[in-house]
Amino acid sequence: MDKPSRHATSMIDPSLLARVVKGDQQAFSQLYDHSNTLLFTLAVRILGNHEEAAELLQDVYLEVWRKVSRYDVGRGTPVAWLLTLTRSRALDRLRARAARGYRATNSLEAGTAGQVVDLGPSPFETQADQELRIAVGAAVAGLPQAQQQAIELAYYEGLSHAEIAARLNQPLGTVKTRIKLGMSKLRDGLQQWWNHGDLQ
Amino acid sequence: MTHEELEESVPLYAAGALDRTERQALEAHLLSGCASCHSALKDYQSVAALLPLGLSPTRPPRSLKATIMAGRNPGAIPAEAAPKEPARPSLEPGEWMNHLFPPVAPARSLSLPWVVGLATLLIVGVVGYLAWNFAAQRSVDTSIIQQLEASLQEKSVKLASLHREVGDQTKALAELRNEMQQRMNEAAETKEQLMQREAELEEARVQLSQRGGARSVGTPQDELATLLRIPDVKAVSLTGSDMAKRAAGFLLYDSRTQKVWLYSVNLPECPTGTTYQLWAIHDKPVSIGTFHMDTGETAHLLVKKAPSFTAAKTFAVSLEPSGGRQQPTGPMYLLSRS
Repeated sequence: MDKPSRHATSMIDPSLLARVVKGDQQAFSQLYDHSNTLLFTLAVRILGNHEEAAELLQDVYLEVWRKVSRYDVGRGTPVAWLLTLTRSRALDRLRARAARGYRATNSLEAGTAGQVVDLGPSPFETQADQELRIAVGAAVAGLPQAQQQAIELAYYEGLSHAEIAARLNQPLGTVKTRIKLGMSKLRDGLQQWWNHGDLQ
Repeated sequence: MTHEELEESVPLYAAGALDRTERQALEAHLLSGCASCHSALKDYQSVAALLPLGLSPTRPPRSLKATIMAGRNPGAIPAEAAPKEPARPSLEPGEWMNHLFPPVAPARSLSLPWVVGLATLLIVGVVGYLAWNFAAQRSVDTSIIQQLEASLQEKSVKLASLHREVGDQTKALAELRNEMQQRMNEAAETKEQLMQREAELEEARVQLSQRGGARSVGTPQDELATLLRIPDVKAVSLTGSDMAKRAAGFLLYDSRTQKVWLYSVNLPECPTGTTYQLWAIHDKPVSIGTFHMDTGETAHLLVKKAPSFTAAKTFAVSLEPSGGRQQPTGPMYLLSRS
């Protein structure tokens, strides 16, 4: 009998990936259940478009199924691995789109009109995920606007510091400093979350 | 770059803000075994991995799971499963972040730098040989030198044409890949649309059967909202049994329209060949109706026309074989508080 499978996304057990490596379909299904909302959220944030994010997730999960044996627990948590893969593939798409001269519809408002809606505080989100979301959200929101913007341009749009400087019309050194200071503040503010072992 | 400069670039590396040259410089430095940079990188990579966890969650379409499960070839267990990459000095966790999944595009032209490298090596070799030959045998007949020069020129021309050919082939391959990707995307899109239509059709069917031709207007949600405002509606809350401790339910009975509403959340998915059945219990259990929890479904609204059972004190949901039973036979999942 299946029990409800609502576990914290931030605490995916590496042994689940070990089962997926062995071709365990149920484990793959569980991995999807644990991670789909987080990965979709990231994909939508980067691509600004629900349809394209859904397409991307198909590619990402198929790649996970094929390449899961490359996952090495010593190098990071399952969540970090999945997020890195999703971010990397989403940025590939973003760059391909830019190369085709297609202007990104980076308006998140446009996408939310479909059948998929932002949940806000969800009764189906575990308490651990909710607490972590609030903590990270608060730490990011607590940064000065300029630092937050520089980090987000790098992380979610894949821009280098030189590209960010050009985009914002700011000196290169200023942009570098903003990113360094911002990341350093986030590290100090969030260190407890990985020191507690939640993400290890 | 000095160590200080490299160390300062660690947070930028983790945020993904370094350009390629700087990234490579830092990676080379990390490979050389700098412990302080390793430790800083680990912290900053953990920060970077936390960033998306702070976004307000957006759920993907429900049909996506079925598309993904169907799109994967169950037989093809990881082709690359067997041999792991040969041991390289490992960079944790920064190196894999950027190298495990290198961007697709650069990987295609791997052969080009290789050919260029070989060509350069060959030219350097031949020129070196010529120089040595010239120094050692100044007096030797110049015709030999001319011969060698001619052969060198010939080889350069061949190399250039080889180079061009490789370039053309790489381009053609990239084009083919793009086209294939496009076709795959189109196919996936069509499939997605089809599944969405099916889901809509299914929903319409359910709604139609629930209304049963009655003159109800609006969606079940509208009707439920109206119902909640009627003061003499019977309301019963149900809690999960040991089988499903996180499950809960809320039951409303409107004696005016003789309709029962059961809103249940967090019930486990029904295993194949089973269904949930709702019972009203007075002296003995009377079936009200059955419903099914599909994969990925977390909440369910059951609406049934039912005879009067105002005397019933207890309500329960059990798991039964498909089609339901006259009397409960399976384990109880939800029970009302008596």
